[in-house]
Amino acid sequence: MLLKSIIIGLIAVFARLDSRILGRLNFERPLITCTLVGLFLGDIKTGLAVGAQMELVSLGFMSIGASGYDMNMGSIAGCALVILTNTNIEAALAIATPMTLLITLIETLTSILRINMAHMCDSYVAKGEFNKAKQIHAVYGPLLYSVCSFVPVFLAVYVGADAINAIVNAVPQFVLNGVTLGANLVAFFGFAMLLSVMINKKNTIFFFTGFVLAAYSGLDLTALAVISIIAAILLYQIRYDNAPRLQGAGGATGTADEFDELDD
Amino acid sequence: MSKQGLENQKNYPLHKKVREFFWGGWFMQGLWNYERQMNTAFMWGISGTLDRLYPEPEELEKKKDRYNAALEFFNITPQLGAFVLGLTAAMEEKYAEEPDNFDPKSITAVKSALMGPLSGVGDSLFQGTVRIIAMSIGISLALSGSVLGPILAMLISFAVSFPVTWFGGKLGYTKGTELIQQISQNNLMDKLMYGCSVAGLMVVGGMAANLVNITTPIVYGETLVLQNIFDSIFPKMIPLALTGIMYILVKKRIHPITIVFSCFLIGIICNYFGILAV
Repeated sequence: MLLKSIIIGLIAVFARLDSRILGRLNFERPLITCTLVGLFLGDIKTGLAVGAQMELVSLGFMSIGASGYDMNMGSIAGCALVILTNTNIEAALAIATPMTLLITLIETLTSILRINMAHMCDSYVAKGEFNKAKQIHAVYGPLLYSVCSFVPVFLAVYVGADAINAIVNAVPQFVLNGVTLGANLVAFFGFAMLLSVMINKKNTIFFFTGFVLAAYSGLDLTALAVISIIAAILLYQIRYDNAPRLQGAGGATGTADEFDELDD
Repeated sequence: MSKQGLENQKNYPLHKKVREFFWGGWFMQGLWNYERQMNTAFMWGISGTLDRLYPEPEELEKKKDRYNAALEFFNITPQLGAFVLGLTAAMEEKYAEEPDNFDPKSITAVKSALMGPLSGVGDSLFQGTVRIIAMSIGISLALSGSVLGPILAMLISFAVSFPVTWFGGKLGYTKGTELIQQISQNNLMDKLMYGCSVAGLMVVGGMAANLVNITTPIVYGETLVLQNIFDSIFPKMIPLALTGIMYILVKKRIHPITIVFSCFLIGIICNYFGILAV
């Protein structure tokens, strides 16, 4: 149990560092981390299922800059506890939600520490000790993040399993089914959050295009993703590629050059 | 200004410089703080260039000055951070070469002018489009039990993130200033945002319709099945309505935790009375 909890804690560290030192490669997302949890706990099937479910629910929860609210850490603990206690996969979300609150609290507390560390950088530069200043950013910053992810996730998994078992046995079935329904309602909150950052008056139509296409055809998301990329390229060409040609050949070659550079 | 520093910088191979910008970009959030956000990251990314440019002890004050400039407020989408680092490195080099003709304030000015637009386009490209497409493909494969789902999601993310960061850093350093002019002349930002919003929004629309199917089990008597009536008007009416309601709640800035807990509560109530079902 101790070893398993440590491994889960390390997966949490990996997830946290993804956005800290890997420029956010999406390795932090529940789909990937829960699969990893499943892999290490010997139940990859449940890991995948929880990952897909959690990803679906939290897809819209993105952390840009300060307003970070994500369920990445909570999902890891939730997935591990679901596998270790053999409960149904929707319980993962019920575990992840309070866990997310805790992580947000820790995050807020350590933000004070990080401001102090940034000030330490300033004073090292003032003293001319540049290497120490660099070290604070590249070593101690990520280290602080790692500790703050490892400890709560490790503890939740290490001491949480018994508590979860007791709760699940005590709660009546209709509540568990209700939590499942609630989890699926949260997914719509996710979609709405995504929309709120992407949508404006002019492009609302594309949301409805995607919705209607999927609703009537029942195409799966891989097909829809491919169609939407094609649609984006097509519309882009219709909208922008004709314009320079109307103004003469010079404009057209200008655009072409610029694309070559960016595709480089 | 010492010739030694400039020589150091000019003789340093390009791919090694780009490597510094690349890692500078990926480490962008290593010490994120509320005061100046990614300032230490920017300092770390540009430090190699500054160390090479000002090697002599008598240049220490100058070096401190440039380090302090690098420690000013900074915020960017990490992948595009490399571009700004490259561009700034090129400008620092120019400043070291002609300290009298080049106003160092313009370095800070360019940096802060780039933050907003680049982050806007970067976030909608990486968070709004690449992530959504990678994850939607990943989810649909994972739901059918295939490990290919998460693997493909990782590959797609990496395949966009890596080249944008690497070549961004390279382009920023080699022809950053030209490129910025071209970008603003051709409205490239708007164009990119447009492409991203089309692809991203269509996928989100498809997700809202197909990923979670919430229906109503309400039946009046023997013949009147409410869901059938809904389906004959417009399939997936309930998911569309739920998305709309949630959108209004998000716009009203209700705290996420409140909404999530309410969802559970409403889920339990609606399940108990048989109003909604998954």
